Amino acid sequence: MGKESPTEKTLLNACQWLAVLAIVLPVVWLTPRLWERIERYDTGPDYRVPYELSNDYWLYSRRLRQVSDPNQIVVLGDSVVWGEYVLPDGTLSHFLNQESGAADRYINAGVNGFFPLALEGLITYYGQSLCHRKVVLQCNVLWMTSPKADLSSEKEEPFNHSRLVPQFHPRIPCYRADANERFSAIIECRAGFLAWVNHLQNAYFGQKSLPQWTLQDDGGSPPRYPNLWRNPLRQITLVVPSAPQDDSQRGPTSPRHKPWSEDGRGSTQFEWVGLDASLQWQALQRVIATLRGRGNNVLVVLGPFNEHMMAEDNRPAYRRIRDGVAAWLAENRIPHVVPETLPSALYADASHPLTEGYALLAKRIVAKPTFQNWLTGTTNRP
Amino acid sequence: MLFHTWSFLLFLLIVLPIFFALRKTRLWLVWLLTVSYFFYGRWNPYSLLVVLYITVLDYFLVALMERCPEEGDEAGGLTSPTRLTRLTPNRGVWLAIALVANLLPLLFFKYARFVSENLSAVLSLLHLSVKLPDPSSLMPFGIRYVLPVGISFFTFQSMSYVIDFYLGKVERERNVLRFANFVCFFPIVMSGPIERAGHLLPQFHQFPAIRLHNFTDGLSLFLVGLFKKLALAGYLSLYVERVYDNPASCGAPALILGTVAFGWQLFFDFSGYTDMARGVAKLMGFDLLQNFNSPYLATGIGDFWRRWHISFSRWILDYIFMPLQMYWRDWRYAGTAAALVITFLVSGIWHGAAWTFIIWGALHGLGLAATFALERSAYYRKRVPTLLKQAGTFCFVSFTWIFFRADSLGDALVIVRRMFTAAWRDPQVPALMLVLVALVWLYEYVNESKLRRVLEISVVRVGLAVVMVISLCLFSSGGGTFIYFQF
Repeated sequence: MGKESPTEKTLLNACQWLAVLAIVLPVVWLTPRLWERIERYDTGPDYRVPYELSNDYWLYSRRLRQVSDPNQIVVLGDSVVWGEYVLPDGTLSHFLNQESGAADRYINAGVNGFFPLALEGLITYYGQSLCHRKVVLQCNVLWMTSPKADLSSEKEEPFNHSRLVPQFHPRIPCYRADANERFSAIIECRAGFLAWVNHLQNAYFGQKSLPQWTLQDDGGSPPRYPNLWRNPLRQITLVVPSAPQDDSQRGPTSPRHKPWSEDGRGSTQFEWVGLDASLQWQALQRVIATLRGRGNNVLVVLGPFNEHMMAEDNRPAYRRIRDGVAAWLAENRIPHVVPETLPSALYADASHPLTEGYALLAKRIVAKPTFQNWLTGTTNRP
Repeated sequence: MLFHTWSFLLFLLIVLPIFFALRKTRLWLVWLLTVSYFFYGRWNPYSLLVVLYITVLDYFLVALMERCPEEGDEAGGLTSPTRLTRLTPNRGVWLAIALVANLLPLLFFKYARFVSENLSAVLSLLHLSVKLPDPSSLMPFGIRYVLPVGISFFTFQSMSYVIDFYLGKVERERNVLRFANFVCFFPIVMSGPIERAGHLLPQFHQFPAIRLHNFTDGLSLFLVGLFKKLALAGYLSLYVERVYDNPASCGAPALILGTVAFGWQLFFDFSGYTDMARGVAKLMGFDLLQNFNSPYLATGIGDFWRRWHISFSRWILDYIFMPLQMYWRDWRYAGTAAALVITFLVSGIWHGAAWTFIIWGALHGLGLAATFALERSAYYRKRVPTLLKQAGTFCFVSFTWIFFRADSLGDALVIVRRMFTAAWRDPQVPALMLVLVALVWLYEYVNESKLRRVLEISVVRVGLAVVMVISLCLFSSGGGTFIYFQF
């Protein structure tokens, strides 16, 4: 049958396997921790995770660990908290800081492209450091405006951050990944080393694996391949990339930064998903339970939803959902504020305010007695 | 369920403990068969019917064969106590029935469409308006016409049992559970190695003796296979796809490097699968045939086939080449050459129903026919430098891979033409890929040289394993399915 193959000769005996484990396990355990010490990560006031690093959950986890002052308040949520149309100094956390007179009391922990089902995974697996502190959690009813947004549609739908959503239970009907993808997602969430590898790919290799990065084209015609002969190690600058200074897609000078409608009235008919059936609402409930279970003092901000966008006959359904959420929060003694709907001209779309909208929203939240009571409360325990 | 997926790991974590727990009962065979059928049926439950068909067919045909008087035992037949014995067909007839019946599903699922399309084309050239039916229209109950994964592997494996029994090389397996496990043993059912009854069947006779080295060897083989598949084959496939998806836009160097890269990709992909299959079997105490042995260090085409897909090349050698060579022995050199060409034509057809595979097989057959005498000559063996022989063999084998990989015959011809006529411009190949392939080649070269002792030092082995584990995390680019699953 021929000679012994090279494969046969590399077989390890038990002692050699133990030696491999003795090397690999410390490497896997230590590397992400050491990396955190040697890689520069500049945050500062109004910092938010750059849009390009939205999938870098290891970085998010690190960001939360950096919030060391127990008086700092973490603002959690989706792109409304992150500030889809605004610059870092136009976000909710910025204006809350302004209202409080402190530069860095409120931390923008929103992530672009998030929704409650993904937020649940993020908080469960990457937000363990978020404990025994005050947390503002934004509840966006946008995720209940249709079965598609709620991810409860039976039709297959692609969506962001699918690796963070519950893979098997509760079942997400529109999520059709095969068993292997689901197992991969579960393991990735629990393996810190893999999340760190993902961080390297996100931060230094354009969200690609190393092999894919070496073969990445520039999108031209004919395509050019700038990384073919580049040393991959030189890509690793040991400085986490920050958001671009001049973001043409966001901020008052951006063409996107404008009111959603000229006349300020809409006729949208949302196919509201009832609270009992909503997967996103159930996920938000679990997020609240997880946060409170970790000793956090959670305050929920319900809104700001653009009520002007809806047809008149669609509003009662919205109000029923809003009131239902508020009732559940009250029933469970969770401090919450329901800010009044902002003027129509201060919304960029169904749920994202413009810069002035965030400023007004922050004023209204801070003015609420519930908020003030929560803020001045001394205990972090629910 | 692919070996390099988390689903398979979970599958194994369920299968192994129960398998070991059943060691003192007879249920371990039932468990093994159940999980094998589950593993195979997950691809396409209907394909399981083909596996069952082959299993039942060969089990009973060999039983019938056993009841016949052996070939050349005419006198015995005449003197047998009952006339019934004389009336039963002899073993040769049962063998012929078995071969035809075994090949029927393979012919239908793999070649019917190819034959139908080509016959229709020929008939239309002859201005005959005969419309041959599409084989998919013959499928009952609306079942989709798809090639059952691994059909060529388990069919050939089962056929080898029938032929070996006919030749008196193996005893009849009376236990249907053992035989069913032999046909559908989950580590090998998809892509081999194509086992022989004489090697694998006896291992099902009693629960395998499990020692510590079974685990360490099994894990080692699995790690090597995983590394080959995920870190190497996956990487090379990115470049190969770019070149082969649009050959008309590539310069000559890109086509040459893309073809060389495919040769290595195929090796890493297929040998990686085999290593993982052998590793999994080893974890359960089973020993599978070796399938690869540094094929790109071969010093001739014959040597290449002694190192590449060894279980398959031994199969075609034993069951196609040898009988043909024996039949044409009077023709001497010409007979051997003809037998080689036909054997490798069959090999090409076995790989797929396309003219590209037939040409690939024919090239190897012709190459072997032209060089087998040279390869055996003392001058070639002793005077020609090894590196030169290796380089020549590698060039020939790589050239034939063009036909193996190209999406169509037209594409293959474009690639061959452009290799010699297109401009010499930057092949746009990543340096890292070249370095990785060069390192693997160097490793294999050292392993076959006097320096191999270096690789046997514990520190070096441990270091290599650590590098493989870390690389799997850093380099892995998905992997995708295995190339040989299509066969």
